[in-house]
Amino acid sequence: MSEFEPSILCFACNWCSYAAADIAGTSRIHYPPNVRLLRVMCSGMVDAEYVMKALEAGFDGVMVAGCHIGDCHYISGNIKAQEMVTRLKKLLHILGLEDERLMLKWIATSEGPIFAETIKEYVEQLKKLGPSPFRKELVT
Amino acid sequence: MGGNITAEALDRDERRIGVYICHCGLNIADTVDVEAVANYAGTLNSVAVARDYRFMCSDPGQDLIKNDIKELNLNRVVVASCSPRMHEPTFRKACEAASLNPYLFEMANIREDCSWVHDDREVATQKAKALVRAAVARVYYNDPLEIKEIPFNPDTLVVGGGIAGIQAALEIADSEHKVYLVERDPSIGGHMIQLDKTFPTLDCSQCILTPKMAAVGAHPYIELLSYSEVEEVSGFVGAFKVKVRKKARYVDEDKCTGCGLCQEKCPWTADSEYDVGLSKRKAIYTPFAQAIPNVPVIDRDSCAYFLKGKCRACEKFCETGAIDFEQVDQFIELEVGAIILATGYDAFDPSTISQYGYGIYDNVITGLQFERLSAATGPTGGEIRLKDGRKPESVAIIHCVGSRDQNYHEYCSRVCCMYGLKVAHIVKDKTNADVYEMYIDMRCFGEGYEEFYKRVSEEGVNFIRGKVAKVTDKAVSEEEEGKLVVICEDTLLGSIIRVPVDMVVLCIALEARSDAEEVARKFIISRRADGFFLERHVKLDPVATPSDGVLIAGCCQGPKDIPDTVVQASAAAARVLAMISKGRVTLEASVSHVNEDLCIGCGRCEELCEFHAPKVGIYEKPMPVSRVNEALCKGCGACAVACPTGAISIKHFKPEQILAMVDALAET
Amino acid sequence: MQALTPYKDAIDIVKEAGGEAFEQCYQCGLCSGTCPWNLVTSFIVRRLIHQAQLGLVDFEDDDLWLCATCGACVARCPRGVEIIDIMRAMRNVVAEVGAAKVPDSLRITAKNIASAGNPQGEAREIRGNWAEESKVKTFTEGTELLYFSCCVPAYDPKVRRIAQATAGILNKAGVDFGILGAKESCCGESIRKAGNESIFQSLANSNIQAFTESGVSKVLVSSPHCYHTFKNEYPALGGNFEVVHTAQYLLELIRDQKLKLTKELNKKVAYQDPCYLGRHNGIYDEPREVLRSIPGLELIELPDSREESICCGGGGGRIWIETKKGERFSDLRLEQAIEAGAEILAVACPYCMLNFDDSVLTMDKGEIIEIRDISELVWGAI
Ligand SMILES: Cc1cc2nc3c(=O)[nH]c(=O)nc-3n(C[C@H](O)[C@H](O)[C@H](O)COP(=O)(O)OP(=O)(O)OC[C@H]3O[C@@H](n4cnc5c(N)ncnc54)[C@H](O)[C@@H]3O)c2cc1C
Ligand code: FES
Repeated sequence: MSEFEPSILCFACNWCSYAAADIAGTSRIHYPPNVRLLRVMCSGMVDAEYVMKALEAGFDGVMVAGCHIGDCHYISGNIKAQEMVTRLKKLLHILGLEDERLMLKWIATSEGPIFAETIKEYVEQLKKLGPSPFRKELVT
Repeated sequence: MGGNITAEALDRDERRIGVYICHCGLNIADTVDVEAVANYAGTLNSVAVARDYRFMCSDPGQDLIKNDIKELNLNRVVVASCSPRMHEPTFRKACEAASLNPYLFEMANIREDCSWVHDDREVATQKAKALVRAAVARVYYNDPLEIKEIPFNPDTLVVGGGIAGIQAALEIADSEHKVYLVERDPSIGGHMIQLDKTFPTLDCSQCILTPKMAAVGAHPYIELLSYSEVEEVSGFVGAFKVKVRKKARYVDEDKCTGCGLCQEKCPWTADSEYDVGLSKRKAIYTPFAQAIPNVPVIDRDSCAYFLKGKCRACEKFCETGAIDFEQVDQFIELEVGAIILATGYDAFDPSTISQYGYGIYDNVITGLQFERLSAATGPTGGEIRLKDGRKPESVAIIHCVGSRDQNYHEYCSRVCCMYGLKVAHIVKDKTNADVYEMYIDMRCFGEGYEEFYKRVSEEGVNFIRGKVAKVTDKAVSEEEEGKLVVICEDTLLGSIIRVPVDMVVLCIALEARSDAEEVARKFIISRRADGFFLERHVKLDPVATPSDGVLIAGCCQGPKDIPDTVVQASAAAARVLAMISKGRVTLEASVSHVNEDLCIGCGRCEELCEFHAPKVGIYEKPMPVSRVNEALCKGCGACAVACPTGAISIKHFKPEQILAMVDALAET
Repeated sequence: MQALTPYKDAIDIVKEAGGEAFEQCYQCGLCSGTCPWNLVTSFIVRRLIHQAQLGLVDFEDDDLWLCATCGACVARCPRGVEIIDIMRAMRNVVAEVGAAKVPDSLRITAKNIASAGNPQGEAREIRGNWAEESKVKTFTEGTELLYFSCCVPAYDPKVRRIAQATAGILNKAGVDFGILGAKESCCGESIRKAGNESIFQSLANSNIQAFTESGVSKVLVSSPHCYHTFKNEYPALGGNFEVVHTAQYLLELIRDQKLKLTKELNKKVAYQDPCYLGRHNGIYDEPREVLRSIPGLELIELPDSREESICCGGGGGRIWIETKKGERFSDLRLEQAIEAGAEILAVACPYCMLNFDDSVLTMDKGEIIEIRDISELVWGAI
């Protein structure tokens, strides 16, 4: 059997993390293909429903990436994202999902290498964790 | 070029999506099997045509889209190429040119996000397919959005009358557009009017500034509101409403002739702000002789009439009856299209660094106090003197006081090395005292700055590389008796050095205004961790802010010298003039929208919106509901997430659109 | 002429030993200017850091052993460089990697600690002997408080009075406390700063084990050095105990009226802030409060006090290294105290006690001033 390849959905803020991914691209910094980017205008736009949907749809990990605190293009969207993630993590915990299934990360425009590194690390982390229990349910 | 037209999707009312896969030369095609992706796209739901092409952004590439829209009646378009941050505007324009609403366009990023970061062709092709699938799924739900424009109010508000505000105001007013200049102090001039000479050319600060100040005072297109502050800001770019508090001066500006008799007669004094505490001014005062406007104010905190109910000497002597103790604060409402913030900086208070003895030893002074000592208009008439009136025989100049130090400010204040050198030159020139500069690094980067450093070196100034540890009056040798001893490591000698001097000048940091947070909140802009106002982009947009129509100039954006301040002020003015010249503003189309049938008027959206866009009120319905002022909304989506009933959604980022993408991306 | 070349391996070795903080240094020299050594001789801290940056440290250099880890430079450093970590790392390269010879006195001390669990090299069995007169029980499961006296009062007859005064007070106040005696080992704080990381690790582990086995949850210490390592370093090794210093605990007892200070002490008393209580742990007010509670006592402040306090010279392993006459910080400090008119110099650290007692003796000031631990002063006032 080939090694488990986790799938990741990354909600990326247009003003920073998405731009950082662009920089990783223009600098040809390779990272694992396990991630799918979904561009939003601000991390604060990401509804808990979207994250739940992604987990139900079979992603092994969901990442919400926004601007560093203080840098949000809309002043405090990332703080709201942080609150959402904290709240949702508690719920996921109740549902029996591991903490690592949802990750919040601040990545600035210039931090292309950090974006790539983050994806690499996250893939490794999820590999150790194994497939999402939600995903297994889906299979059976 | 490959093409694939699905026959069954020719029905008129149906979604008819065109998908275009770009090779980007070999940038994409090298890693992604573009033809396979196009073929795959052709099989997707509602796709009417799918093609691949060498350069979609080229004219022939765009023509391909335009023709298909017309000939195949496409009503949705997807281009899979580079990042939308790069070419989304290009393709949106192409759609518009073919009469397709630009919001019916979607982009899949298969270059930055795919071909450039992966090398396995099969994996990359697989991922590209997923990205295209998601874009198609999303575009299915895209709605045409109306692009709204409003007229731009050509009047401008400038806040702060330092050199930045003065420069910006004059440039706009010279093009015959109205400027309101709001200055908090009794006179404009800012810090620059306190300076003696300016580095590196040593031209007299007042001589170059006062003509500009006079021009502001007399300009037919500038309305100067001195001794005033902005209370409230509402509205949006092109149509701001501003409420200004004009503080009571207790002097009638129209009647006052600026003769100065009141100040002469006033028996009460306080420390002079202009001379940084080195001299006294009266309770009724103009901060300095060349003040604009040349109308005094009464300082309630030192006026005997206000404190004890007795005196009114000024009133007795005023020949025009301009003194008015009954005056109250006035509020003025302004309407402007753009705002330039030029509120400058505060000088760092070095008394917090106790080991430097500021506020303990008389002859430890700040750079700003030195400027006043050295200026002809200052308390000593320009003579460099110790507190007891003696001429100093030796002076130490300490760099980086409060700068480059994480205990105070981590940043470099950018002007201190240069004004430190200027102080050295002036001391040499006026007193021939021995001068010691204690520096960490010499930062002399501007035009003529390095040359100035050389010139000062040649004047016999002693440079000691090391951050000063202590200033003390405890002598350990005879030659230290009665002196201030500056102690540091001379890092080039690698030994501790004690330098006895008569005077110590501290090159204090420039820091964000103490009220910067409040001002930022008022104008809905952000601040950096260091407290200064945050620009929209450090490199590519250093004068704009996240709030459209609010620009920043001068030291309120970060420490800088006068040349840089003037450049930024001119840039801000040019931005405003460009907006005035266009005459209209396009509003963001992807904004929040309230479904009033679902809204329960709870007001959570109103509470959390940083831009004050939603307002709960009674509109057509009898029940209170929220409504969004589209001109204020930036489309960040926070309200939609917070809305408990799901009444709010963001146009172009509706849940259907995002959920469709999630599903499409999850598919394998 | 001899040119130097940066030596990468030597850079890495200091980094690996935990000194990577040197990377943040921008060589302003504020540390040298702040360091108390430069009141008595020359010690260019910055140069050592620069040598570490380039891998050009001269490991034979005696300067390596000067730093008393008083923390004055760290408190001021504009880049927040953990200079003590750099010093510790360089010493570690000597002590454990063997880059050069460890000074003799330190080497012997390290050997003593490693074999006997105390720097004096005394037998473990007699560690608790000081307590015999004071009627102190052995700590057993359920005892409320463990009193950890520190090796100095435990073995040094000149300083034993600290432990005895403390035990007396605790008995008087009816506190349920005990000692672990032979099961205790040196806390290891100072030997760690002297570069002997592995000795520290085994001491810490043995204490943690002893404390845990006996069911200790709260520890009272007389030494700020024990306080520092128990509180800030042991948790990383799995030792989580509530730690209080006598200065804090005495104040608690006084406030709760478990102690009544009635006997007057009509003297002028100056207080020496121990570096590891003050700068390292921010405890400045409690000891002063305790002193002020003693009737008749007039508390005076030394010129450099609190955050600016000058070290006694005993930290960082210096307590075991002979400091030349004329270069002792404690001599300077004693002069300051005498000049300020103090009749008693109050201390709250056994190292301070050792150094100042020595200064009084060698400077022949016994008639003018005496050195007292705050616990002794409180004991005397009951
Ligand atoms: C000691 C010293 C020496 C210097 N020497 C030189 C030199 O030789 N050459 C050189 O190029 N640069 C020099 N500089 C730097 C120079 O002072 C600045 O570059 C320049 O003054 C910046 O101008 P500004 O208009 O941005 O800010 P400021 O001069 O600070 O002006 C801001 C103005 O805004 C007003 N204001 C603030 N807040 C509000 C508010 N909320 N509402 C209304 N009004 C408000 C203030 O009252 C002030 O009038 C020196 C700086 C110092 C500290
Ligand atoms: S704009 Fe990036 S997180 Fe808000």
